[in-house]
Amino acid sequence: MTSTRQLVVPAQHDQLARLASFVGAAAIEVGFGDAQVNRIELAVDEACSNIIDHAYRGAPGVIRLTVEIESQRQLTIILVDQGTPFDPDRVPAYAPCTSLDEVKIGGLGIHLMRQAMDDVCFEFNVPGIGNRLTMIKHL
Amino acid sequence: MIATLNVRELTFTPVMEQTDKAQKPIPIMQVSGRLDASTVSILERALLRAFSLGAKAIVIDMGEVTYISSSGLRVLLTARRQARERGGDILLCALSPNVRDVLDMVGFTALFSICSTLDDAKQMAGHLPAT
Repeated sequence: MTSTRQLVVPAQHDQLARLASFVGAAAIEVGFGDAQVNRIELAVDEACSNIIDHAYRGAPGVIRLTVEIESQRQLTIILVDQGTPFDPDRVPAYAPCTSLDEVKIGGLGIHLMRQAMDDVCFEFNVPGIGNRLTMIKHL
Repeated sequence: MIATLNVRELTFTPVMEQTDKAQKPIPIMQVSGRLDASTVSILERALLRAFSLGAKAIVIDMGEVTYISSSGLRVLLTARRQARERGGDILLCALSPNVRDVLDMVGFTALFSICSTLDDAKQMAGHLPAT
Protein backbone atom coordinates (compact mmCIF):
# COMPACT_ATOMS: atom_id res chain seq x y z
CA MET A 1 0.00 0.00 0.00
CA THR A 2 1.30 3.45 -0.92
CA SER A 3 0.87 6.46 1.31
CA THR A 4 1.33 9.88 -0.29
CA ARG A 5 2.12 13.18 1.42
CA GLN A 6 2.87 16.64 0.13
CA LEU A 7 4.65 19.76 1.35
CA VAL A 8 4.58 23.07 -0.50
CA VAL A 9 7.10 25.73 0.53
CA PRO A 10 8.55 28.98 -0.81
CA ALA A 11 11.75 28.44 -2.80
CA GLN A 12 14.09 29.79 -0.14
CA HIS A 13 17.22 28.41 1.50
CA ASP A 14 15.67 28.76 4.95
CA GLN A 15 13.18 26.03 3.94
CA LEU A 16 15.87 23.39 3.29
CA ALA A 17 15.86 22.00 6.83
CA ARG A 18 12.07 21.76 6.77
CA LEU A 19 12.09 19.91 3.44
CA ALA A 20 14.81 17.55 4.68
CA SER A 21 12.94 16.86 7.90
CA PHE A 22 9.74 16.09 5.97
CA VAL A 23 11.44 13.63 3.64
CA GLY A 24 13.49 12.16 6.50
CA ALA A 25 10.33 11.25 8.39
CA ALA A 26 8.99 9.54 5.25
CA ALA A 27 12.24 7.61 4.82
CA ILE A 28 12.09 6.36 8.40
CA GLU A 29 8.52 5.24 7.78
CA VAL A 30 9.66 3.17 4.78
CA GLY A 31 12.21 1.48 7.05
CA PHE A 32 15.52 3.12 6.12
CA GLY A 33 18.26 3.33 8.74
CA ASP A 34 20.04 6.49 9.88
CA ALA A 35 22.79 6.47 7.22
CA GLN A 36 20.33 6.09 4.33
CA VAL A 37 17.95 8.66 5.81
CA ASN A 38 20.85 11.13 5.84
CA ARG A 39 21.60 10.37 2.17
CA ILE A 40 17.95 10.79 1.18
CA GLU A 41 17.74 14.12 3.02
CA LEU A 42 20.95 15.16 1.27
CA ALA A 43 19.52 14.35 -2.17
CA VAL A 44 16.44 16.49 -1.49
CA ASP A 45 18.55 19.32 -0.07
CA GLU A 46 20.77 19.35 -3.17
CA ALA A 47 17.81 19.16 -5.55
CA CYS A 48 15.99 22.00 -3.78
CA SER A 49 19.15 24.14 -3.62
CA ASN A 50 19.45 23.74 -7.39
CA ILE A 51 15.81 24.77 -7.84
CA ILE A 52 16.32 27.86 -5.66
CA ASP A 53 19.69 28.88 -7.16
CA HIS A 54 19.34 27.83 -10.81
CA ALA A 55 15.63 27.45 -11.65
CA TYR A 56 14.22 30.43 -9.74
CA ARG A 57 17.58 32.25 -9.48
CA GLY A 58 16.54 33.96 -6.28
CA ALA A 59 13.16 35.09 -7.64
CA PRO A 60 10.01 34.18 -5.68
CA GLY A 61 8.67 30.73 -6.43
CA VAL A 62 7.29 27.56 -4.94
CA ILE A 63 8.68 24.05 -4.43
CA ARG A 64 6.15 21.23 -4.30
CA LEU A 65 7.50 18.09 -2.62
CA THR A 66 5.55 14.85 -2.81
CA VAL A 67 6.64 11.64 -1.10
CA GLU A 68 5.20 8.22 -1.90
CA ILE A 69 5.87 5.79 0.93
CA GLU A 70 5.82 2.07 0.25
CA SER A 71 6.59 0.52 3.61
CA GLN A 72 9.50 -1.94 3.60
CA ARG A 73 9.90 -1.39 -0.15
CA GLN A 74 10.77 2.04 -1.54
CA LEU A 75 10.47 5.81 -1.26
CA THR A 76 9.58 7.94 -4.27
CA ILE A 77 10.29 11.67 -4.07
CA ILE A 78 8.80 14.10 -6.59
CA LEU A 79 9.89 17.74 -6.71
CA VAL A 80 8.03 20.20 -8.92
CA ASP A 81 8.92 23.80 -9.70
CA GLN A 82 7.93 26.42 -12.26
CA GLY A 83 11.35 28.00 -12.69
CA THR A 84 13.69 28.08 -15.66
CA PRO A 85 14.53 24.50 -16.65
CA PHE A 86 17.89 23.54 -15.15
CA ASP A 87 19.45 20.79 -17.21
CA PRO A 88 22.00 18.94 -15.08
CA ASP A 89 23.62 17.51 -18.21
CA ARG A 90 24.93 21.02 -18.94
CA VAL A 91 26.93 20.94 -15.71
CA PRO A 92 30.27 19.15 -16.08
CA ALA A 93 30.10 15.84 -14.23
CA TYR A 94 31.91 15.87 -10.91
CA ALA A 95 34.77 13.40 -10.73
CA PRO A 96 36.36 12.66 -7.34
CA CYS A 97 40.07 13.51 -7.53
CA THR A 98 43.17 12.63 -5.60
CA SER A 99 44.65 16.11 -5.85
CA LEU A 100 43.29 19.33 -4.38
CA ASP A 101 44.29 21.26 -7.50
CA GLU A 102 42.20 19.03 -9.75
CA VAL A 103 38.93 19.28 -7.84
CA LYS A 104 36.21 21.14 -9.72
CA ILE A 105 33.59 22.54 -7.40
CA GLY A 106 30.74 22.46 -9.97
CA GLY A 107 28.52 19.41 -10.20
CA LEU A 108 28.92 18.37 -6.56
CA GLY A 109 25.20 18.55 -5.83
CA ILE A 110 24.12 16.47 -8.83
CA HIS A 111 26.86 13.94 -8.04
CA LEU A 112 25.59 13.61 -4.46
CA MET A 113 21.99 13.18 -5.65
CA ARG A 114 22.97 10.39 -8.03
CA GLN A 115 25.13 8.72 -5.38
CA ALA A 116 22.41 8.92 -2.74
CA MET A 117 19.43 7.71 -4.78
CA ASP A 118 18.82 4.65 -6.98
CA ASP A 119 16.96 6.54 -9.73
CA VAL A 120 17.09 10.25 -10.59
CA CYS A 121 14.93 11.48 -13.48
CA PHE A 122 14.61 15.10 -14.66
CA GLU A 123 11.71 16.26 -16.82
CA PHE A 124 11.38 19.84 -18.03
CA ASN A 125 8.36 21.94 -19.03
CA VAL A 126 5.89 19.11 -18.43
CA PRO A 127 2.52 20.53 -19.64
CA GLY A 128 0.40 21.71 -16.72
CA ILE A 129 3.12 20.81 -14.21
CA GLY A 130 6.44 22.56 -14.86
CA ASN A 131 9.78 20.96 -14.12
CA ARG A 132 9.58 17.61 -12.38
CA LEU A 133 12.35 15.68 -10.67
CA THR A 134 11.60 12.13 -9.58
CA MET A 135 14.01 10.29 -7.27
CA ILE A 136 13.56 6.73 -6.04
CA LYS A 137 15.33 4.86 -3.27
CA HIS A 138 14.76 1.15 -2.77
CA LEU A 139 15.05 -0.32 0.71
CA MET B 1 11.98 24.37 11.30
CA ILE B 2 14.93 26.69 10.75
CA ALA B 3 18.46 25.34 10.44
CA THR B 4 20.95 26.59 12.98
CA LEU B 5 24.70 26.64 12.92
CA ASN B 6 27.06 27.92 15.56
CA VAL B 7 30.78 28.51 15.21
CA ARG B 8 32.75 28.94 18.42
CA GLU B 9 36.08 30.54 17.63
CA LEU B 10 38.90 29.47 19.96
CA THR B 11 42.67 29.34 19.72
CA PHE B 12 45.35 27.14 21.18
CA THR B 13 49.09 27.60 21.39
CA PRO B 14 51.08 24.54 20.46
CA VAL B 15 53.84 23.45 22.78
CA MET B 16 56.97 22.84 20.71
CA GLU B 17 60.09 21.35 22.18
CA GLN B 18 63.57 22.68 21.54
CA THR B 19 62.65 25.81 19.67
CA ASP B 20 63.50 29.39 20.40
CA LYS B 21 60.65 30.75 18.30
CA ALA B 22 57.59 32.16 20.03
CA GLN B 23 54.63 29.94 19.21
CA LYS B 24 51.67 31.60 17.53
CA PRO B 25 48.13 30.59 18.47
CA ILE B 26 46.24 28.40 15.99
CA PRO B 27 42.50 29.03 15.47
CA ILE B 28 40.04 26.29 16.31
CA MET B 29 36.51 26.51 14.90
CA GLN B 30 34.10 24.43 16.95
CA VAL B 31 31.16 24.02 14.60
CA SER B 32 27.78 22.73 15.71
CA GLY B 33 24.49 22.26 13.88
CA ARG B 34 23.48 21.96 10.29
CA LEU B 35 25.91 23.04 7.56
CA ASP B 36 23.73 23.75 4.52
CA ALA B 37 23.16 26.57 2.03
CA SER B 38 21.20 28.61 4.58
CA THR B 39 23.91 28.50 7.28
CA VAL B 40 27.21 28.06 5.49
CA SER B 41 28.00 31.79 5.39
CA ILE B 42 28.47 31.71 9.18
CA LEU B 43 31.42 29.32 8.87
CA GLU B 44 32.66 31.08 5.75
CA ARG B 45 32.85 34.41 7.59
CA ALA B 46 34.66 32.86 10.57
CA LEU B 47 37.24 31.28 8.28
CA LEU B 48 37.76 34.51 6.33
CA ARG B 49 38.24 36.35 9.62
CA ALA B 50 40.91 33.87 10.71
CA PHE B 51 42.72 34.12 7.36
CA SER B 52 42.56 37.92 7.46
CA LEU B 53 44.26 37.80 10.86
CA GLY B 54 47.08 35.86 9.25
CA ALA B 55 46.21 32.26 10.08
CA LYS B 56 47.82 29.55 7.97
CA ALA B 57 46.58 26.51 9.83
CA ILE B 58 43.01 26.19 11.13
CA VAL B 59 41.45 23.30 13.04
CA ILE B 60 37.76 22.72 12.34
CA ASP B 61 36.13 20.61 15.03
CA MET B 62 33.14 18.98 13.28
CA GLY B 63 32.12 16.89 16.31
CA GLU B 64 28.74 18.54 16.63
CA VAL B 65 27.95 19.02 12.95
CA THR B 66 24.80 16.99 12.39
CA TYR B 67 24.58 17.44 8.62
CA ILE B 68 26.64 18.72 5.69
CA SER B 69 25.59 19.42 2.09
CA SER B 70 27.58 20.43 -0.99
CA SER B 71 27.44 24.06 0.23
CA GLY B 72 29.45 23.07 3.29
CA LEU B 73 31.83 20.96 1.19
CA ARG B 74 32.55 23.95 -1.07
CA VAL B 75 33.47 26.14 1.90
CA LEU B 76 35.80 23.48 3.28
CA LEU B 77 37.45 23.05 -0.12
CA THR B 78 37.91 26.79 -0.64
CA ALA B 79 39.35 27.17 2.88
CA ARG B 80 41.78 24.33 2.30
CA ARG B 81 42.99 25.92 -0.92
CA GLN B 82 43.48 29.25 0.87
CA ALA B 83 45.37 27.57 3.70
CA ARG B 84 47.62 25.64 1.31
CA GLU B 85 48.40 28.84 -0.62
CA ARG B 86 49.70 30.24 2.68
CA GLY B 87 51.77 27.14 3.35
CA GLY B 88 49.35 25.85 5.98
CA ASP B 89 46.44 23.44 6.12
CA ILE B 90 42.87 22.88 7.30
CA LEU B 91 42.58 20.06 9.78
CA LEU B 92 39.15 18.46 10.23
CA CYS B 93 38.40 16.42 13.31
CA ALA B 94 35.72 14.37 15.06
CA LEU B 95 33.53 13.73 12.01
CA SER B 96 30.23 11.98 12.69
CA PRO B 97 29.54 8.87 10.54
CA ASN B 98 26.99 10.77 8.41
CA VAL B 99 29.32 13.71 7.77
CA ARG B 100 32.18 11.35 6.93
CA ASP B 101 29.87 9.47 4.55
CA VAL B 102 29.17 12.68 2.59
CA LEU B 103 32.89 13.52 2.42
CA ASP B 104 33.51 9.95 1.23
CA MET B 105 30.88 10.29 -1.52
CA VAL B 106 32.89 13.10 -3.15
CA GLY B 107 36.36 11.76 -2.36
CA PHE B 108 37.19 14.48 0.18
CA THR B 109 38.38 12.04 2.83
CA ALA B 110 41.39 11.41 0.60
CA LEU B 111 42.05 15.14 0.11
CA PHE B 112 41.69 16.51 3.64
CA SER B 113 43.75 15.98 6.75
CA ILE B 114 41.26 14.33 9.08
CA CYS B 115 41.88 13.49 12.74
CA SER B 116 39.73 11.31 14.98
CA THR B 117 39.74 13.73 17.90
CA LEU B 118 40.36 17.38 18.62
CA ASP B 119 43.44 16.43 20.67
CA ASP B 120 44.90 14.57 17.68
CA ALA B 121 44.21 17.61 15.47
CA LYS B 122 45.92 19.93 17.96
CA GLN B 123 48.94 17.69 18.01
CA MET B 124 49.13 17.60 14.22
CA ALA B 125 48.56 21.36 13.95
CA GLY B 126 51.55 21.90 16.21
CA HIS B 127 53.75 20.77 13.34
CA LEU B 128 52.28 23.29 10.90
CA PRO B 129 53.08 26.98 10.50
CA ALA B 130 50.45 28.91 12.45
CA THR B 131 50.68 32.47 11.20
